[in-house]
Amino acid sequence: MKSNTKHMARMWVSVVLSMALTGVLFAAGAKESVGLKQITLTIAGRDGAYGDSLQLAADEYQKLHPEVSFEILKLSGANLFEKTVIDLRSKTGTYDLILIDDPNAPQYQEVNWLADLDAMYAKKGLQVDSDFIKPALDLGRYPYNEKGTLFALPFAGNVELFAYRTDLFEKYGFGEPQTWTELLKAVKTIDAKEAGVDGVVFRGAKGNPIVTAFMPIFWAFGGKVLDEDGKVTINSPEGIKALKYFLEMAKYAPLGVTMYQSAQVRDALYGGTAAVVPEVWPGWIGNLENPQESHVVGKVKVTKHPGEVVKSSPMIGAWLVAIPESSKQHEAAFDFMLFLTGYEMQLAMSDAYGLPPSRSSVYKVESQRVKYPWYDAQLDALINSVARPRSIKWKEIEDILGGVLQVAIMGQMSAEQALASAQQSVEDMVR
Amino acid sequence: MHFRRNSFYYFLIAPSLLLMLWLTVYPVLNVLMLSFFDYNYIADVRLFIGFDNFKQIVSSKLFQDSFFNTLIFSLVATLFEVGLGLLLALVFDGEFFKKKQFMTLMIFPMMLSTMVVSAIFKTLYHQDIGLFNYLLTQLGLQPVGWLINPSCALSSIILVDIWQWTPFAFILLQASLQSIPQEIFEAARIDGTRYPQIVMRITIPILFGQIMLVAMLRTIDTFKLFGKVYALTQGGPGNATETLSTFIYREGFLISILGVLQRLLC
Repeated sequence: MKSNTKHMARMWVSVVLSMALTGVLFAAGAKESVGLKQITLTIAGRDGAYGDSLQLAADEYQKLHPEVSFEILKLSGANLFEKTVIDLRSKTGTYDLILIDDPNAPQYQEVNWLADLDAMYAKKGLQVDSDFIKPALDLGRYPYNEKGTLFALPFAGNVELFAYRTDLFEKYGFGEPQTWTELLKAVKTIDAKEAGVDGVVFRGAKGNPIVTAFMPIFWAFGGKVLDEDGKVTINSPEGIKALKYFLEMAKYAPLGVTMYQSAQVRDALYGGTAAVVPEVWPGWIGNLENPQESHVVGKVKVTKHPGEVVKSSPMIGAWLVAIPESSKQHEAAFDFMLFLTGYEMQLAMSDAYGLPPSRSSVYKVESQRVKYPWYDAQLDALINSVARPRSIKWKEIEDILGGVLQVAIMGQMSAEQALASAQQSVEDMVR
Repeated sequence: MHFRRNSFYYFLIAPSLLLMLWLTVYPVLNVLMLSFFDYNYIADVRLFIGFDNFKQIVSSKLFQDSFFNTLIFSLVATLFEVGLGLLLALVFDGEFFKKKQFMTLMIFPMMLSTMVVSAIFKTLYHQDIGLFNYLLTQLGLQPVGWLINPSCALSSIILVDIWQWTPFAFILLQASLQSIPQEIFEAARIDGTRYPQIVMRITIPILFGQIMLVAMLRTIDTFKLFGKVYALTQGGPGNATETLSTFIYREGFLISILGVLQRLLC
């Protein structure tokens, strides 16, 4: 009986001690978590090199700030747009940072879904770094001018470039084309005289591809999709001249160019069957100088587009990073945003994944210029770049224009008919 | 009285019934309602515009082309698939060398995914390196722009669908054919009826119901054509291979997040 009581007492002591110990441990743990407030930043990002770059930046940031962890969604462009629109509209605040394709930016900016970065810079006593390439930085402003409020920073300075075969141009006595008219002479000659080589190869599939191929010509000839007041000006004498030129140039493109997407254009460029590729993107040309992948090592020059009545007008296609107004962690998100778009990370992402930098200083780093020989041209193109119209209806406009351009290339409409039709359809749609 | 007697059972199924209505009927009604509005999802602005959305769609050249192409595709593909399927079913009704092996081979295309089939045919149809154009040039003929010529792009896609889905018609019709009592055919043969007459007067009339069923299933499926067009031509060249499904995809998913989608789904 006595031993039984002793046993019970021992049990009670053990239970009380265990409870006390547990309490102490929890208290210590709680104290620890108060000391290091854990933050998780959720980023709605892109897949591919963009996603890898984001991950690299997140990993590096976490080394410096162990209290911050990341959840990065690596989505396709369309999926990213859809997910972010649904979330931002419902103001659930799921995402702390989002990537935005620059033509989509006005849709977010117009409805005040993005946090005001000017205010955040001011709060921190900082100023926007002048190292950002201006045309890329301005895409984040709304209204789209120098004085517009900054809602996004450029994450990737993507820009459309122009490529031509230097060996063939030299062979037939042509220098680097300064105007589209000069270029056409070279295209005609090479197409006629060089067996197995097409004068020009571009993306002719309807919609975005053919529009992207056409816009640098349209702008260089003085064409404008919308004027300063938002009035539709597609069907102008300048626009018609540009389209006539485009249709003439397309005669020297391969049969079936109306079905060409980026894969076919890249094949032609790498395979040496294209004398001129008027639309290449930095992401397409990473292996151009790799003899295992390319038949044209040392034979292709990547540069900015020729001009015509207006200077060279490459299309900018930047990816922006922004903080949703509904995010509950503006301060932490802004700190990471500055890190992500800072010089060190832009250099690291360019080096590791070929991400087109949005800072001019990165283009001047010697190691990068050796690794990416077109960096001088890319910076030049970025500085000269033209943005797609800052309209919330751009996707619809692009679809209409992309449809008529292809029909015109197929010979089913003249340049005049095509642009008149586009003008009418866009006016109807905008109305 | 009847209702009152069964009220307990109605009470039991009510939750699932309500859930089903909420998940099926409500979205349809909601989409129908939205189709009468000019709805800017991003700005959350709705403006009642009556039938304007429908008028705009019907008068759109792209929609008209898409509708016409879908109709042609559905009609021609179904006709050939059912016709060839029936022919094959009749051939395989007899006995011949390695019949089982041939039968396995026949149904193979149906087992492949649409994307795989499209990838195979994209290579075969290639203007410069495709097998079809190679054979044509070997015969001294001009190469054909199978997928790049607007006048034959749709036919080329129809051909792919026929290749892939004729086995479906074949399998169903062959199974039905085997279920017909053999005595009927024996009696006909004893009466001296020739084979073509047996087919026309006995086999096809008996199989008529099954033929109609297969035709209906193929019509439904071909009307929803999307994968092959997306993988082979993306609706091009021009609007030559646009179908209703690619039209809905383009308008609803690529261009606007909601936009015109409602009026297309109604």
